[in-house]
Amino acid sequence: MAEPRYFELAVSPHVEGHQTTRKVMFDVVIALLPALAAAVWFFGPRALLLVVLSVGAALVAEYASLRFMKRPISFVLDGSAIVTGILLAFNLPPAVPWWIPVAGSAFAIVVAKQAFGGLGHNIMNPALLGRAFLVASFPVLMTAGWIAPGRWQQEGTGLTTSGIPQEQLAEIEGADAITGATPLNIMKQTYDRETMDSRMGEGATEQVRESLSSGGTYLNLFLGKIGGCIGETSGLLLLLGALYLVARGVLEVRLPLSYLGTVALLGWVFGGSGWFNGDPLFHVLAGGVILGGLFMVSDMVTTPVTPKGRVIFGVGAGLITMIVRRWGGYPEGCSYSILLMNLATPLIDRYTRPRILGEVKKSG
Amino acid sequence: MGKLKSFAGGTHPPDRKHLSSDKAIERLPAPETVCVSLCQQLGAPSEPTVKKGDKVSRGQEIGSQSGFISLPTHSPVGGTVLKVEDMPMPHRRSGPAVLIKTETEEGGQVFEPWPEFREHSPEEIVERIKLAAVCGMGGASFPTYVKLSPPPEKNIDTLILNGVECEPYLTADHRLMLEHPDDIILGMEILVYALGAENVMMGIEMNKPDAVELMREKGVEVVPLKVKYPQGAEKQLIDAALGREVPAGGLPLDVGVVVQNVGTAKAVAEAVRDGVPSLRRLVTVTGLGVESPVNLDVAVGTPFSALIEKAGGYREDVARLINGGPMMGIAQYTDEIPVVKGTSGVLALNSHEARDVAEGPCIRCGKCTDSCPMKLVPSRIARFAEYEKWEQAEKQGALDCIACGTCSYVCPAGRYLVHYIKRAQEMIRALRKREA
Repeated sequence: MAEPRYFELAVSPHVEGHQTTRKVMFDVVIALLPALAAAVWFFGPRALLLVVLSVGAALVAEYASLRFMKRPISFVLDGSAIVTGILLAFNLPPAVPWWIPVAGSAFAIVVAKQAFGGLGHNIMNPALLGRAFLVASFPVLMTAGWIAPGRWQQEGTGLTTSGIPQEQLAEIEGADAITGATPLNIMKQTYDRETMDSRMGEGATEQVRESLSSGGTYLNLFLGKIGGCIGETSGLLLLLGALYLVARGVLEVRLPLSYLGTVALLGWVFGGSGWFNGDPLFHVLAGGVILGGLFMVSDMVTTPVTPKGRVIFGVGAGLITMIVRRWGGYPEGCSYSILLMNLATPLIDRYTRPRILGEVKKSG
Repeated sequence: MGKLKSFAGGTHPPDRKHLSSDKAIERLPAPETVCVSLCQQLGAPSEPTVKKGDKVSRGQEIGSQSGFISLPTHSPVGGTVLKVEDMPMPHRRSGPAVLIKTETEEGGQVFEPWPEFREHSPEEIVERIKLAAVCGMGGASFPTYVKLSPPPEKNIDTLILNGVECEPYLTADHRLMLEHPDDIILGMEILVYALGAENVMMGIEMNKPDAVELMREKGVEVVPLKVKYPQGAEKQLIDAALGREVPAGGLPLDVGVVVQNVGTAKAVAEAVRDGVPSLRRLVTVTGLGVESPVNLDVAVGTPFSALIEKAGGYREDVARLINGGPMMGIAQYTDEIPVVKGTSGVLALNSHEARDVAEGPCIRCGKCTDSCPMKLVPSRIARFAEYEKWEQAEKQGALDCIACGTCSYVCPAGRYLVHYIKRAQEMIRALRKREA
């Protein structure tokens, strides 16, 4: 008989699935590319430069942190830092100086992610916490760097950051309309009817509202021909990316659907001038709700793993977003709403454990 | 055809049944020596009743039953006992076994054949199934007679025959249904009679349409099931076929059901009709690590090496040898171990098909939760188990895990989820025993 042959030992199962962490992360990167292309189209090569800087800084920060903590360097290539880098840049106004994405990404990786233990252990979404850090530290840069889409290609397209024709906007703002406000800024002003009407005349508020809700504005909002952060403007292309993720089995639909649904519902309930006359479509399409709803609310690490928990998360984030938009100090509440719900995730998971097959509810 | 029945969750591992699904069952003669485990069945091992030098005949009892959840053990060959001692086993580290030199394969009929089983009482039938040491042939090896002896207050209304064979690669049950349908049907009738059940049905996954058709032609009520792992797990099968949920910590008989594997039905038929105890079983020898996969009818106690030889030997790049299927089977370091009654497959995987993933951190994607057929949160239980928080693991339902391996299979981070949970189960049970 031949010499004895020995075999490797391993625990079951003995066949591997097709999904890996790296594939998941690179699928997210692929899903973000169409929106990145749109950003370059609307805001010029500068947008690409900011994204590249942000991703580069994220990778360097990841490498440095892993080195410092003596953890496997190979983690740098798992793709998660690239996702964080892109998402952070997507959340920046397109006119910020070059060092803003660098500082934001470094903070996101070092403080929000690696300090908590690295991939899978961070409590809050690193990109959003990075953005929050930037907003808190450089509020002027982070709230004023808006550019009208297409402006880099030619002057005087007639489009403004809000998608509303220039002349009308000039009247609303009474100032430079081109670097002016985003649709949400304007919507915010309409909540203060007295001031607006006194400045522009009786009935002005309703007029402005009407232009915000006009079909042309919707289309601009959806295609991305409006002012806003680098990656948040084109709802259409973000949606395309999200559909790709759903097809790849990476995106769980409960989170985005419950979030966007809540924003739409509450947008109708109190997003207008009074009760139950708001414009749900405007609230979903404007600002960062589409980007946040499709790519941040659905971030795996910082959101619940249970089916019920995901719905609670989405509804909670939607509620906070709309409360901030209507009554808060900022025109947009998307990113803070997600960060706040991130903090609640462990608790949500804990209280939403699914009913085990055959489990009978204990009395008392 | 309407929508196929199934359960919630689950996954779709590559099934690779084509390697052996068209290979007719071949009978492998008993080898020169057989190594018969005295712990074939789940539960207490049998007590040896022979010693070195004893002559045994085929079918003779060589180990006696040692408890309620236990069975006797029989010699699969006629010959001489070489030794009785602990030997390495495929389903546990090692266990008591009887090594027998084969002299004859004649005989085996040690009980009176009952060609007309209805002339005997259900109690007599159950007793016969016990004496013939029939246990579940699906892999778990639970003593069959115990399943047929429900407490008097439990009314069993339905028998489900399990022909699902959801483990990838394995095809022995499939071949059995195609080649010996009448034995299965007789076994089924005996089981229904013994249980006094009103309904009987056979669950078959729709990747075996020929078996579904054949059984239907023979008048069996077949429940065609969606191809999804682990469709053949008892609780999932009952849920799919009847829409009944086995209570947590309970048994199928709590919802009036008994599930028996088709291979078990055949063993029951042979025990009752022919008076032959359970001495052989069907084994699929497959995987890309062997030359030509086969379905074999082998004597219990035959070494894996003899089965591999029959399958044309190993290929150059063989890496892993498994007792059972790829999802729940146990890796073996050597092929010098014997077939036991729970050996549904001998799988030789090459280095490409064998799982080889580095474990990374959980990214909380929730895939394990979405696909767990028991609706557990595997990542959470595994996390507790990793930090040896056994009590918390138990609170999260660790004991409800059926160890199907779906969570580990779908995990993108390659975490050994089911391994951690199985470890938690062992520890929780050990702690309970200590407290009791």
